[in-house]
Amino acid sequence: MILFKNVSKIYPPNIVGIEGISLNIKPGEFVSIVGQSGTGKSTLAKLLFAEERPTRGKIEIGGWDITNIKDHEIPMLRRQIGVVFQDYKLLQRKTVYENVAFALQVAGAPAHRVREVVPLVLNIVNLHDKHGRYPNQLSGGEQQRVAIARSLVHQPKILVADEPTGNLDTLNAREIMDLLAKINEFGTTVVLVTHDRDMVNRLRRRVITLEDGKISSDVEEGRYKL
Amino acid sequence: MFISTYRVTKFAFQNFWRNFWLSVITITMLVMTLLTVNILIILNFVTDQAIQTVEDRIEVSVYFHTSAPQTSVDNAVSYLRSLSQVKDVQTISAQEMLDKFILIHKKDDAIIASLEEIGGNPFGPSLIVKAQSVSDFDFILEALENPEFRDAIREKDFSNYSDVVTRIKNATDRVRTFGVALSVIFLLIAILIVFNTVRMSIFIHREEIGIMKLVGASDRFVRAPFLLEMILLSLIAIVVMLLIVYPSIAILEPKFGFYIGGESIGLVNYFEKNGLMIFGLEFVGLVLLTLFSTGMAMRKYLKV
Repeated sequence: MILFKNVSKIYPPNIVGIEGISLNIKPGEFVSIVGQSGTGKSTLAKLLFAEERPTRGKIEIGGWDITNIKDHEIPMLRRQIGVVFQDYKLLQRKTVYENVAFALQVAGAPAHRVREVVPLVLNIVNLHDKHGRYPNQLSGGEQQRVAIARSLVHQPKILVADEPTGNLDTLNAREIMDLLAKINEFGTTVVLVTHDRDMVNRLRRRVITLEDGKISSDVEEGRYKL
Repeated sequence: MFISTYRVTKFAFQNFWRNFWLSVITITMLVMTLLTVNILIILNFVTDQAIQTVEDRIEVSVYFHTSAPQTSVDNAVSYLRSLSQVKDVQTISAQEMLDKFILIHKKDDAIIASLEEIGGNPFGPSLIVKAQSVSDFDFILEALENPEFRDAIREKDFSNYSDVVTRIKNATDRVRTFGVALSVIFLLIAILIVFNTVRMSIFIHREEIGIMKLVGASDRFVRAPFLLEMILLSLIAIVVMLLIVYPSIAILEPKFGFYIGGESIGLVNYFEKNGLMIFGLEFVGLVLLTLFSTGMAMRKYLKV
């Protein structure tokens, strides 16, 4: 499903983001990428949805070689991968419903499909009663749930969550992690980038630890070791 | 295609309403720029009209001897009218000159008495010659030296004007050059204002643009609502500008008319005749400028 072959990302002038990363994530896996700040976790996530391009190596997603993905192909890739960010990245001038619908609208989904899918995913994240609110009228946890709902509208095979609990209190963070686990149970591959020790330890799933841009450990049922 | 166009249009209108104050600020800046351009057009028109009015009032008066044969006068008139430099030749007969003189001095008994003393008509026929432009007077004065009627002419009173004409010519040339320079400077300022206003507006939306890209929007889908919004803002700016300019020129015209001798300078008329073209061109120019600025400003934020 996700294949990294000796991938490096070097930022000018010579700052190493990640170096020589090779990994293979199978369909339906829940993988946590952990490590201290500046170890390349977010770089790895950004390479998955082509916000960054690798300097060396090869990246394949579902058999699609995205190493040298062309600019006009990026939207197609992003419509197939759900992405959740630490800062939610919601459109502040759009309501909850519109934020979720937007991801479908940009892909040219017909209106009836938007009307069908958006309430469905808002139900999954338990926000159906707040569809008319703007992001600034929601709590952090609720905003993150909107972001998750948005990432689900395309029924993605992969969900990348980059520090999704970074701005949340423990209660909200647990809710989000439970939601991600639930999504994984439906068959979606989840790649969780985090430095939240408790959350990773609770999950008891595969943990890849990064140190200085390199993989220092990759354990099937791991714990946060750093 | 239809659904994308519908969504792009919807997003453009949503952007407009949901960023109402930003829209108001952008429109205000665009209106100010358009007003600057139109003030320049009005000033150029008023200056041109003022210069034209002054030029129209300059004429050569040609006085013939009382004994001058009518054929000499007629020859002079036909010859002058055949010249491309001559705009108009008005003939005043000896009798008309006398009647005019009496009318002007009817309350001056001494002058009327002197006329009666002379007994006959002391005036000869005369011509009032208007040139196409101030610079043509030299040529016309030379033309009046034609031997066919030169001897019949008693006096040409252009000499009194020649200095004034030279000064007006120099002054108008300077005003026109200054006007062109001023127009170029103001246009450059206007372009910079529009460019930076649009950049500011896009800068405020930079995060939103990045998010749209991250959720899978194509560059075209992100760019289109912003471009459409700019067209909408330009259209509103043109309408607001029209609502300011038309009533203003209607109020200002009599005042300008007063300064150039009480006559209407035809400003309202000028805008009625040319308004569609002027404002149409301004709209097209503004739209092209805002679209270019939007495209340029967005380029950076679309690289996500």
